[in-house]
Amino acid sequence: MFLNFFYILKEIGIPVSPTAFLTLQKALHLGIIANLNDFYTCARAILVKSERYFDLYDQAFAHHFEGVPLPDSDGFEVDEIARAMLDEWLKNPKELADALGIDEEQLKKLTPEELIEYFKERLKDQDGEHHGGNKWIGTGGTSPVGHSGHHPGGMRVGGQSRNKSAVKVAGERRYKDYSTKGPLTQAKIGEALKRLRNLRPAGPKDVLNIDETIRETMKNAGEIELIFDAALKDRLKVILAIDNGGWSMDPYIHVVQTLFDYARSQFDEVKTYFFHNTIYDSLWEDPARYKKPRNIMEFTRMDPETRLIIVGDASMAPYELMANDGSIHISERSGRPSIQQLNFLRETFSHSVWLNPVSENMWGYSHTILAIAKIFPMFELSLDGLEKAVSALMRKN
Amino acid sequence: MYQGPNTEFQGAKKYVLDQELASIVNISMKLEMPLLLKGEPGTGKTMLAHAIAESLNMPLIVLNVKSSMKLIEALYQYDTLTRLNDSRFGDSKRDVSDINEYIKMGKIGQAFCADQRTVLLIDEIDKADTDFQDDMLDVLDQMQFDIIETDKTITARNRPVIIITSNAKKDLSDPFLGRCNFHHIAFPDPKMMRKIIDVHFQDIDERLAQNAIDAFYTMRDIDGVEKKPATRELINWIRALNADPDFRAKDLVKGQLPFLGVLFKKSPDYERATNIASRRRLF
Repeated sequence: MFLNFFYILKEIGIPVSPTAFLTLQKALHLGIIANLNDFYTCARAILVKSERYFDLYDQAFAHHFEGVPLPDSDGFEVDEIARAMLDEWLKNPKELADALGIDEEQLKKLTPEELIEYFKERLKDQDGEHHGGNKWIGTGGTSPVGHSGHHPGGMRVGGQSRNKSAVKVAGERRYKDYSTKGPLTQAKIGEALKRLRNLRPAGPKDVLNIDETIRETMKNAGEIELIFDAALKDRLKVILAIDNGGWSMDPYIHVVQTLFDYARSQFDEVKTYFFHNTIYDSLWEDPARYKKPRNIMEFTRMDPETRLIIVGDASMAPYELMANDGSIHISERSGRPSIQQLNFLRETFSHSVWLNPVSENMWGYSHTILAIAKIFPMFELSLDGLEKAVSALMRKN
Repeated sequence: MYQGPNTEFQGAKKYVLDQELASIVNISMKLEMPLLLKGEPGTGKTMLAHAIAESLNMPLIVLNVKSSMKLIEALYQYDTLTRLNDSRFGDSKRDVSDINEYIKMGKIGQAFCADQRTVLLIDEIDKADTDFQDDMLDVLDQMQFDIIETDKTITARNRPVIIITSNAKKDLSDPFLGRCNFHHIAFPDPKMMRKIIDVHFQDIDERLAQNAIDAFYTMRDIDGVEKKPATRELINWIRALNADPDFRAKDLVKGQLPFLGVLFKKSPDYERATNIASRRRLF
C-alpha cells in the first residue's frame, strides 16, 4: 500500500497525484515489482514527474525506508523573525537589548546587516521552539556571546544503510544538481522565455490558404485559383532595460549577460537600453551610458503593445528614487523624481515587469525595492520568477 | 495486449541499458502508459526507442515534433489540394467523391492502424506549444481519434509502446505528466561510457578508448562551457581519432587533443577548450 510513503512525498513538496498512486497500486498488483530496488525505480517513474523532485524523492525514500531524518525548511522563517527583530530594534533598542540580555551599546556598533546576522544566529542558538515570531522575548537571559549551539538546518549525518541498495542510492542524492535551486543558464532562460511570443503574419506570402482557395475556385467556376498568405512569425517587440551601473549589480552581471544574450538571439525587435540604479530622464543605448541617450518621453511614440522588461536590483538610497534631483549624475536632473518617471513608463507600457536578481526573501530589507515593486510587477530573476514574469507579460488586457 | 515471445526489454545491440531504465521501460509497457524521457541532449533518449523496437522486433514509427505542428498533422491529413486538382482535371484513378481516398494517416494514425504492435516515438515534444501536448492527451488516453471529414473513429488496433522525449528543462503541463511515466536519463559515468564505447566500436584499441574517455570527462569539467559535449560527440570524436593515421593514443595523455571542434560546437566553447588544452600541454 505505501500510503504513508505517498503522504510523505506530498508533505515534502513533491506534486504527487492520487491517480498516479493508483497506477502504482496497479503496478504492485501486476506483480512486476519484486523488491525494494524495483519499487524505488518504479514508484519514482510513476509518481515523480520531474527530475527537479528526484532529490526530494531520494530524501523521502531514505526517510521512509531507513529513517534518515528529513531536512527542516526553516531558513525563511528565521529570516522573517530576524527582520521583525530588526524593526523592533529600530523602534526601541533598549527594550530589545534588555530582553535579550545584551548591551545596547554593543549592538549599536553593528551595521543593520550584521545586526540581522546576529539576530539570526541568536535564533538558531535556541534549542526550543521559536515559531510564531514573538517568543524571542522568552529567551532573555542567555549569554549573547555563546557557543554556536544546535543548528536546525545545519549538518546532519545521514542514516546508516543496512545494505539495502535502493536506500543507499537514495541516500547518495544523485539528483541534487537537478533541484530547482540551480543557477540560471542560457538554456533555462530560453525555456522560460519561449512562451514570450506573439505570432503575426509577416514575410512573403508563401502559405496556401486552403479555405480561401476553395472559395475563390468556386467563384471562378472550378478554375483553380490559389490564395497565399504570409506565414505567422513572431512579431513581439521587446524593450530590455538593464541596470549596468555601479558596483551594486556586479554580482549579477553573469545572469544578466545570459538574459541579454538570449534576448538578442531570440527576438527580432529587441531594443536594449541601459541605466544606473533607476531611470530618470533617459535610457542609454550604449552600455557606457554616455553616447546615445534616449529621452523616455519619446517612448510614448512606440507601440504600447511593446513588452518592457527592466532588470535591476532596485537597491539604492531612497533619495535617488524619491528626490526631485535624485540622480547622481548632474546632467539628468530635470526636476522629475525617478519614481514619477517609472510610473510614467508603467503607464505607457501596460505589459511591463521588473526582474530583480536579488533573491526574493531579501526584498523586504530594502525600501526602494518595495517602492518599485509597487509600480512594476516585480519578479525574481530565477527560473520560477522568469516564468511568472512571462505570464504577466503575456496576459491579455 | 500483444504477448509475443519476447515482451521484456533487455537492451539492444547498439544500446547499453542500465538496469533502472530497463525496469522502467518494462513497467511502462505492462501498465500501457507512455514513458516520458528527459535528459541532457546526447544521453540516448531517442536511441532508446530504436533499441526497444529492435529488441522487441516491432516496427518503429517516429514522430518528429516541430514547433509549428498541430496535433491533427500527427493524426491524419486531408489532402484538399489533390482532391481539388482531381475534381478539376479528373485525370487520376482516385474516386473524387470518396473522401477516404484523400485521407492520409499521420504518424500517430499509422501507429494506430498498424497490424502489429509498434513502438511510437514522439521526439522532442517540448518543441511544440502546450496546446499540442494538451490535445494529444485524449488521443493517447482513449487510444482513438475521429476523422472529422468522414466522421469515422480510428481506434488503435494494438496499443503502441509510446516513448516521448523532451529536452526541456521546463516541465510539461501537469495533466500531460499525469498520464505518463517519467524518467530522467542522467549523464553516464565513465564506467558506463566505456561500455557504450565498446558496443559502438567493437575492435577499438584499449588504450585509445580509455584515454579518450578520460580526456572527454576532463573536458566536460571545464567551467563556463555552454554546451557540454555529450555521448554523441564522444563517439564522433573517437571515430575521428580512429580515422586519423597520424594519431597515437598516448598523445591524449600528453594533452594533445586534436579535432576539438567535434566536441565543442560553439565558438566560445571551442576557444576555451583549445586554450585550456594548449595550456595543459606546457605542464
